[in-house]
Amino acid sequence: MTGTRRWAGVSFLSPSLLLVAVVLYAPFLWTVYLSFTDYDGLRSPTFVGFDNYIRFLEDPALATSVRNTLMWAVGITVLPVAFGLLIAVLSYGLKGGTFYRLPFLLPYALSGAGLAVIWGFILQSGGAANDILGTDISLLQEAPWNTLSLIVAMTWQQAGVNALLFLVGLQSIPKEVAEAAKLDGAGSWGMFRKITWPLLAPLTTVVVGLSLVASLKTFDIVWISTQGGPGRSSETLAVTMYRDAFVAAEFGYGAAVAFSLTIVTGLVSFIYMRRQVRAVS
Amino acid sequence: MIRRLVLIVLGLIWLAPTYLLLANAARGLDDYDPERIWDLPGSFELLANMADAWARVELGPSIGATFLYAVVAPAAAVVIGAMAGFGISVLRVKGGFGWFMLIFGGTIFPTQMLLIPLFFGFSSTQLYDTRLGLLVIYTAISVPFAAFVMRNFFTGVAHSLFEAARMDGANLWRVFWRIYLPLALPALGAVFILEFTFIWNDLLFGLTLSQSPEVRPIMTAVSSLNSAYAGTRMPVILAAGILVSLPTVALFLFTQRIFARGLALGQF
Repeated sequence: MTGTRRWAGVSFLSPSLLLVAVVLYAPFLWTVYLSFTDYDGLRSPTFVGFDNYIRFLEDPALATSVRNTLMWAVGITVLPVAFGLLIAVLSYGLKGGTFYRLPFLLPYALSGAGLAVIWGFILQSGGAANDILGTDISLLQEAPWNTLSLIVAMTWQQAGVNALLFLVGLQSIPKEVAEAAKLDGAGSWGMFRKITWPLLAPLTTVVVGLSLVASLKTFDIVWISTQGGPGRSSETLAVTMYRDAFVAAEFGYGAAVAFSLTIVTGLVSFIYMRRQVRAVS
Repeated sequence: MIRRLVLIVLGLIWLAPTYLLLANAARGLDDYDPERIWDLPGSFELLANMADAWARVELGPSIGATFLYAVVAPAAAVVIGAMAGFGISVLRVKGGFGWFMLIFGGTIFPTQMLLIPLFFGFSSTQLYDTRLGLLVIYTAISVPFAAFVMRNFFTGVAHSLFEAARMDGANLWRVFWRIYLPLALPALGAVFILEFTFIWNDLLFGLTLSQSPEVRPIMTAVSSLNSAYAGTRMPVILAAGILVSLPTVALFLFTQRIFARGLALGQF
């Protein structure tokens, strides 16, 4: 009985294991290998040691790419999180709160392609953004405005869902705590600083952490809006990887960029999580 | 009072892009003027513009293909993931947690780490630029999360259910298919919806692994549209943006309550 059941169990696991092994693990390992080779896609890869990584560090495009990726990381961990928190705190417990939150949730329902289309329209030269700013800059054509305006676009889309997450956190704060603070004469800012903010801290950690990891891998909106251009001025690391591999057909080099991105993302999440866990305990 | 005021002002700012999208997607092509984008539309050509986007810009085949991927791949993934969850939580396979970590670990790699080998692997197996190829990758990428949710779900089901079913003489596959899978329907639904949205919004796999209009997913199709049709045909592009957002908007409205409730019950 136990023998057959063990085999039966393995057979239930095998489709998952097979797919994950063939489509996820094997390509991952192959990319790691390719990152140490010179590979143009036609001839077989030749082993070159750390050459790709050294070249990557000396590449002038890297500095731009890293700077942009950092801008994304900072922008996306601050703006959508701060707006989300603001919206949640302001609308929590307010009569008709759902109604007030609706404008912030609509963008979240939009598909990625819809987001790209609408912001391409707003940011084009002579478009709505320039109307409002009273300027005549080609926002998508000039660094650092291209990266900054795309961060604004992302903020517009992400703030609502962050507000929802914070709202759930707010609901879990015991009413007695808030009332006790009110009786002690805490004003609304004092309430926020002494009660709401500390009690939301674990949730904030999660929201910031998720935003951080996602922002380091920013690709879609940049690729659709500018393809990393003009020149390579709005490239992020993920865009650099795609361009090196699939536009320049330097697959070994692209693999090295991909693996570097993986290590940076992994390292940042690890350090962030460790610090936060320590801070909480 | 200040709270309401701040929310209203912020809300209006947030609504502005949506207004621009709707107002200018609804205009007829001759009503569109880059200088007057804030005006209310003088005509209502939204449906005509959408039809234009569907036919003339050839979004139709892409939308069809993306629907196929976004429905079939998550459906396959939730069943495959549920099988793994069943094997680990109900059949209690030896070393179950290790197997589980192995499957779930598949989600930690950035997509960038998969693209190059998949591109060459697909090229050499004739999977490149085929719907089957994209179905395989979308299914595989959806499996770890499905397995994660289903393992947790099945762990919460009393083991006596399994013993009772076995006592009645049902074989394992029947127990899984007839008892456990229907039991997990709400969880399967939630996973399905999340995976649907993920696949509908995917750009990288489509960009790398497909090129023809009948195969490439919608994000990829729209990314080429943005540069090719800018200028006077703006209303059509904007209408296309709305068209490809209809499924996600519908799902969002449909799930908003479930989503909020699900979060409330979650670990937060």
